[in-house]
Amino acid sequence: MTAILKTTNLKKYFKIGNNGFLHAVDGVDIELERGTTLGVVGESGCGKSTLGRLVLGLLPATSGEIYYDGVDIMHCGNAELAECRRKTQIIFQDPYSSLNPRMSVYELISEPLVSNKAFRNKAERYARVMELMDTVGLAERFINSYPHEMDGGRRQRVGVARALALKPDFIVCDEPVSALDVSIQAQILNLLMDMQDEMNLTYMFITHDLSVVRHISNEIMVMYLGQCVERSPSKELFRNPAHPYTQALLSAIPAPVLGGFAPEKLLRGEISDPINPEPGCRFAKRCSQCGTNCVGKDVPLEEIEPGHFVACTLFTQKGGMPRNTS
Amino acid sequence: MSAMPVLDVKNLEVAYHTDETVMRAVNGISFSIDERETVGLVGETGAGKTTTALAIMRLLPERTGRINRGEIFYKGEDLSKKSADQMRLIRGACISMIFQDPMTSLNPILTVGDQILEALEIHNTDGKPKTALDARVDELLSLVGISPLRKVEYPHQFSGGMKQRIVIAIALACEPLLLIADEPTTALDVTIQAQVLVLMGELKQKLGTSMIMISHDLGVIAKTCDKVAVMYAGEIVEYGSARDIFEGRDHHPYTTGLFRAIPNLLGESRRLYPIDGLMPDPSALPSGCKFHPRCSGRMSGCDGEAPFLFEENGHRIQCNLFRKMAGQ
Repeated sequence: MTAILKTTNLKKYFKIGNNGFLHAVDGVDIELERGTTLGVVGESGCGKSTLGRLVLGLLPATSGEIYYDGVDIMHCGNAELAECRRKTQIIFQDPYSSLNPRMSVYELISEPLVSNKAFRNKAERYARVMELMDTVGLAERFINSYPHEMDGGRRQRVGVARALALKPDFIVCDEPVSALDVSIQAQILNLLMDMQDEMNLTYMFITHDLSVVRHISNEIMVMYLGQCVERSPSKELFRNPAHPYTQALLSAIPAPVLGGFAPEKLLRGEISDPINPEPGCRFAKRCSQCGTNCVGKDVPLEEIEPGHFVACTLFTQKGGMPRNTS
Repeated sequence: MSAMPVLDVKNLEVAYHTDETVMRAVNGISFSIDERETVGLVGETGAGKTTTALAIMRLLPERTGRINRGEIFYKGEDLSKKSADQMRLIRGACISMIFQDPMTSLNPILTVGDQILEALEIHNTDGKPKTALDARVDELLSLVGISPLRKVEYPHQFSGGMKQRIVIAIALACEPLLLIADEPTTALDVTIQAQVLVLMGELKQKLGTSMIMISHDLGVIAKTCDKVAVMYAGEIVEYGSARDIFEGRDHHPYTTGLFRAIPNLLGESRRLYPIDGLMPDPSALPSGCKFHPRCSGRMSGCDGEAPFLFEENGHRIQCNLFRKMAGQ
């Protein structure tokens, strides 16, 4: 199978002040196959949302390459880009602020159909909106409702319907369930998985919540300060987390079982400054196993198991065997 | 341990009155907190968790929010009968509160040192000198793991986790007997949440404060609480020790649903089990059991009278499914 999305050494720097650059995304390689889900996990400020916007071409990249279905979207013409944009969509985090409060559900869902001139007459368009509402599980009676009249779960269903309107192949889901309650969150996650099975969709699922991403992803990428520190098939990552940061992230989640809370790998400090970072592992300052090799030069991703990549000096020594993992 | 609980809430009912409707946010809840105990209030948005906290603090919006019935005893005194002036002396000194979002609960134009000092000055009834108060500010900052040298800085100079530590320092300034923490870690990243939870655990050990922990996250509740109240539509549908809730055999169908809906880090299943339907509108609550329209185990009588209250060793479940069990 060929990759539907491929990026190489993708970078996005934001200019801060006179000579500061905020390294939001710093050299990320993605290869995503059709019909699969890539989970992108990290804490706030790690560049995961910027990455989502870059691959959709919503933000211009500083350098690197993005191929969508073989088309170089950074250098192609407007017509090709427009075609790509039809096939790629995004679902936003907050259904409270991503929907226009002055538009009814019908107007919201038909907006992408209208702006892309997808249907010749109103009756066909109306039929398509009804079909979409049915797909995402919105009752017909909401067709003339406004966003404020609906609860968060239904609003997010409108967001999903909008993304599906033009029959896309690839959807970036940017924290689609973070603003929702657990019982509603489960409804939306199940809906997204059903849509994928039915329409062979490809997802890039951005979230800060490792337990959410576990259910939906085939592959997971853990980001820290703009860089990918670990990439692995989903099951493998939870069975055998290799990077100290991934281990800390996993142990920081309080599980709903009794017992005192004493994470083995409690991280010290906070995420460091993403403006003009020095070369070397960006996690070094918070890492309990930081050695002399960790600073001074960048740490590349290494394959330690088939498909399991880690950027950590613990694994760059001979044969990919860990130097010391307690 | 004294026999009198620190806080005893009895049959509390709170409603918000607007021109058009009456929102019944809290409908007759009862719970109590002993010394050094942490009680968790868990439930989804709109369950009435924060309203309960605001009612205890008497911080309900003046025009709309009203305590319609019930009593809130703090060490035997009914808070719902206190005047505004009396409450002002209790708030901060005896009961204090940590709010959800540290970005909005700190004053952006005052240094953090001044904000901690403010709490100390208001409750400085025995006239301690300013130097003693200043020393206390330093002590509090070190307690929450922030260098006292940073007390001259403003909130925007701190990160989210640090700001929440400062909020905790303010809340603990006058050594309150009861601390109400309203989703103290919801706005924080998981690794920072872990730091704050560990810190709060240590402080609770050290200072012996009783606590109400409000959260929608069953994981956070499991790690911090001795007793748990599961709230739904303004009622406590299940109440018991943490062991009853997390390891017990009998549960309210809503509690079961809540546990099944959480994405699991350990399980192998791909699909999740949502609870069908939505939280009811607080201005038009269903009759009988508030959960019956969403409940998979509902029976013919569930929509009529108030549900059966099952009680066993302090474990309370409001559900008709247990009527039979109790009868046998």
